[in-house]
Amino acid sequence: MTSTKSAGAAARPHRWAAGAGRVVAGTTLLTAVTLLPWLSGTDPALTVLRARSADQDPTPAQLAAVREQLGLDEGPFTHLARWLGGLPRGDAGTSWVSGEPVLPQVASAFAVSTTLMLGALVVTLVVAALVSARTLRLGSRQEPPPGRPGTGAAFLAALPKFLLAALLATVFGVWLGWFPSSGWAGPASMVLPALALGVPSGAMIGGLVDQSLPAAFTEPWVRTWHACGFRPGRIALRALRGTVAGVLPQFLPTVVALVGGAVAVEKVFNIPGLGRLALDAAIAQDLPPLQTATLALALLGVAAGLLVQALRHALLGPALRDGGLAAPRRSAVRPPRSTRWVAGLCALTLLALVVAGSLRDPLHVDTAARLLPPSAAHPLGTDALGRDLLARLGHGALRTASLALAVTAVSVVAGLLLGLAGRVAAGLTEVMSTLPAVLVGLLTTAVAGPSVWGAAAAVCLVGWTPYAAQTAALSEQERASGHVLASISCGAGPTHLLRRHLLPAVLPAVLRNALLRLPTAVLVLASLGFLGLGEQPPTPEWGRLLAENQPYLELAPWTVLGSAGALVLLSVLAMSGAALGRRKA
Amino acid sequence: MRSTPFGFAAALALIPLLAGCFVSGSGDPNEQGGSTGRVRVALAVPPAQALSPYSNDATVLSKLSVAEGLTALGADGAAAPALAKSWTRKDTTTWVFELRQAKFHDGTEVTAEAVVNALDHAGAAKAKPRVLSDVTLTARAEDADTVTIGTKTADPVLPLRLASPALGILAAKAYAPDGSVSPVGAGTGAFRITGLTGKTKATLDRFDDYWGGKAKAPGIDVTWIADGTARANGLRAGEVDVAEWIPTSQAKLLDAGTPHEVPSVRTDSLVLNTAGGVFADESLRAAARAAVDGSALVDSVFGGYADAARGLFGPAVPWAADKRVEVTGRATAATADQVRSKTGGTPLRLATYTNRAELPEIATVVQQQLEEAGFAVRQDVREYTQMEADLLAGSYDALVFSRVTLLDTGDAVAYLASDFAGNGVYNIARVKDSSIDQAIASAAAEDDPTRRQQKIMLAEAAVLRTDAVVPLVHEKVVQGIGTNVEGVRLDPRERSLIDLDTRLR
Repeated sequence: MTSTKSAGAAARPHRWAAGAGRVVAGTTLLTAVTLLPWLSGTDPALTVLRARSADQDPTPAQLAAVREQLGLDEGPFTHLARWLGGLPRGDAGTSWVSGEPVLPQVASAFAVSTTLMLGALVVTLVVAALVSARTLRLGSRQEPPPGRPGTGAAFLAALPKFLLAALLATVFGVWLGWFPSSGWAGPASMVLPALALGVPSGAMIGGLVDQSLPAAFTEPWVRTWHACGFRPGRIALRALRGTVAGVLPQFLPTVVALVGGAVAVEKVFNIPGLGRLALDAAIAQDLPPLQTATLALALLGVAAGLLVQALRHALLGPALRDGGLAAPRRSAVRPPRSTRWVAGLCALTLLALVVAGSLRDPLHVDTAARLLPPSAAHPLGTDALGRDLLARLGHGALRTASLALAVTAVSVVAGLLLGLAGRVAAGLTEVMSTLPAVLVGLLTTAVAGPSVWGAAAAVCLVGWTPYAAQTAALSEQERASGHVLASISCGAGPTHLLRRHLLPAVLPAVLRNALLRLPTAVLVLASLGFLGLGEQPPTPEWGRLLAENQPYLELAPWTVLGSAGALVLLSVLAMSGAALGRRKA
Repeated sequence: MRSTPFGFAAALALIPLLAGCFVSGSGDPNEQGGSTGRVRVALAVPPAQALSPYSNDATVLSKLSVAEGLTALGADGAAAPALAKSWTRKDTTTWVFELRQAKFHDGTEVTAEAVVNALDHAGAAKAKPRVLSDVTLTARAEDADTVTIGTKTADPVLPLRLASPALGILAAKAYAPDGSVSPVGAGTGAFRITGLTGKTKATLDRFDDYWGGKAKAPGIDVTWIADGTARANGLRAGEVDVAEWIPTSQAKLLDAGTPHEVPSVRTDSLVLNTAGGVFADESLRAAARAAVDGSALVDSVFGGYADAARGLFGPAVPWAADKRVEVTGRATAATADQVRSKTGGTPLRLATYTNRAELPEIATVVQQQLEEAGFAVRQDVREYTQMEADLLAGSYDALVFSRVTLLDTGDAVAYLASDFAGNGVYNIARVKDSSIDQAIASAAAEDDPTRRQQKIMLAEAAVLRTDAVVPLVHEKVVQGIGTNVEGVRLDPRERSLIDLDTRLR
């Protein structure tokens, strides 16, 4: 009785802290967005004029007219205040570019994107279930877990969404004609984009579930239940509860974030979604729609965060509060022999690519040798400018992989720190996880100007959220397990808890998550190139290789096959390498 | 345990609820492959200002035959009658236009009053249409069907100017008190807009009272598809009948008989910054001009859909080739060694933008050509609006630039004046050359069309003499037209597309 009371009393300040964290994070974000036109050094009058009319001459008189019409001289805070003042009346202002009311536009785009996201969620769940089905079945029968290093999941999770989208549109939209190739006219238009978004997300979520399941099956209750003759289905469900509760927060940055972060797929399928609206508004520095879209995304993040939290608590039940969670045994999985082969093969292939590629010239343009299929002279073929693709792949490998690793490492550290900071940081995590990287990229450019490191900085700024969410969830579960309570009652201090219990419980899972997300980091880094962030062309870099060859997907498939394959290899190597490393540790 | 399936079920239950948010073109009678004879068109640039003629959207109104001006642009580049059936020049600054009998889409008559109202609104617009940037019009109604238009200074190209889509004549109801303009139900063309869904769809019906007769197609269903591959996909999948601007990377994938190439008035060139940096030195500019070869781009980057440049004006400007003046008196090009010693190995900043897919590829080819001539090159490639201010401020040494050479006046002088005159607002090359200024001024003052064209070509030669700009290619536009459609207009100026004669077979 007393314990419940004290827990309830402790929960209240927590709730306050979390609420305050959300408000602070949301306010900071909105203020930053509001300041964008004033920070960027690019005259918003010019960008708005350009968005309205491509050939309009940027004469001083014209710019002055636009500035006066928009009231740009009043400064950012007057604008913010007016916009905020209108919100309670359901008035989010009018677009600077089109002069039309913003709220109906943003509302319809938000509805479109949310519908698409829910479709992607269904695909995600199905794919995740398929990925983790075998482990679940074996585990629930107390058979030794398959101990796969998750190569299948790594393979699917490494598929670039925009490439998958283009492929699906071509095959099922154009060749077979089963679904509309683009547009948003009915449920049929939803199938292909939902698949393009959902398959990689599902593989990622499924991979995480698959990897935490074996540990759950080593918990003591499983043997007892098994011995008592419980049916495997019940054991599986029970084991899933704990595992899913740990993975659930990943839905926020992986699936819910698609509402604002699916720009590339929205473009391929011509979907009038929120991602494109926000991007267009940001490029034109059209503040009212940008602010409204950011607010909508932040609120969505908070709402989804609260839902996830409620679901987790429902799944784990009173055990989470009363410290009754069982302690899973760690690193119980022995990777099979094949893992070593897989890892070795990936490493050798990549090494061969890098060595063979480095001996060739990645920049030499030969317009006569355009889009040549693979041959002895060009083992991976040539791109639209006749450049050797093997050379570009090999030269880009080191830069791409090291930058992606560095960005991921920084994100993981930031995520760990913020995740362990408790409920105060939860608001920040929720608000930031739905924010598209492009928006942060624009803010970074506005503050620091375009630079090589800008892209890395921007990706780090949003990239930490999955790890923070995971850390927070896992450490909460760990704190609520019996053995931690036991050590506390034995007088263990916070440092001891952190070193002996929290970090060992959290770190392996977070690292696996980070490795699954490595290809995403490569792609997001490249997607910011058009803002002048990151290495400039013609420097070879894998993300750029994929993006610049995407239009030739159908005409010359080998132009994207090489770089997509290399990305998959990198991802599989990382996963299987980690599995091997874990066994040795 | 109960709440998990429940939560997911709740999330799933939301899907049909939200499915009401699909963008359906009101009623969508065209779902069955255009069986009703309506033409389904995919356009590239989504409306910026709800089809206001004072924005980018103006060309949509003329492409789809919704709005018309007093005049139209004929195939030969001269002004042709439209809402005005004839006109005379009373004196150097006064023109008299005789209107024809015509009706607006809302049923009201096209009167001199309505024309004056429309032109006054264009002149008073807060952001003036580009076509009026260098002229002030005063329109007066003489009687019911006579309009007198005066200009402050002599304007020999006034009839051409009035053909601009931005000066389309709309009914009084189009002009709202707050300055916004809506052409919905207010044009005079063969088709009237009946619905506009955000930036995604529009429906148009035939206007039965059109002065030029009834259009052959009963209506048009417009979809805006910004992505070029998606437009090509739509055409290949039979979801649209006409798709404009097929990217060259997709043109080869279209069925035979579907891609139609049109020479475009767009010229891609390498603009050199003459006011500072490496290219302030004319011998280095000459070296760059000698090194860069646009013909290498035609078959590679453009897949054959371009012509190697012969000057600023390409085949889409029909009179240019015959009147072209040979460029003489250029500086001697520095040799590769001289280039190396003069630049000291400092990389020049080569800029281009991502908005047109071909430009980054051109920049990479040009980089290699420049490097072979001894230059060191560093690229800077961004979205156009992200770099426009820097371009105008002269922060780059060179720019791969795609430019429309006949602006909305349909007159080449406007382009030369804005891009190469000493006080030009778009003078990215930052040239200040009195002989160019004189050549442009003398062309601008010329009344006789043929002599004007000759003087324009003299001005072109004066510009090229400075090597401030190196023309690379004249682009071609690929329009995707299904084999079931006939009568689509292939217009180099991209002002018309669907008109009276367009119909499904």
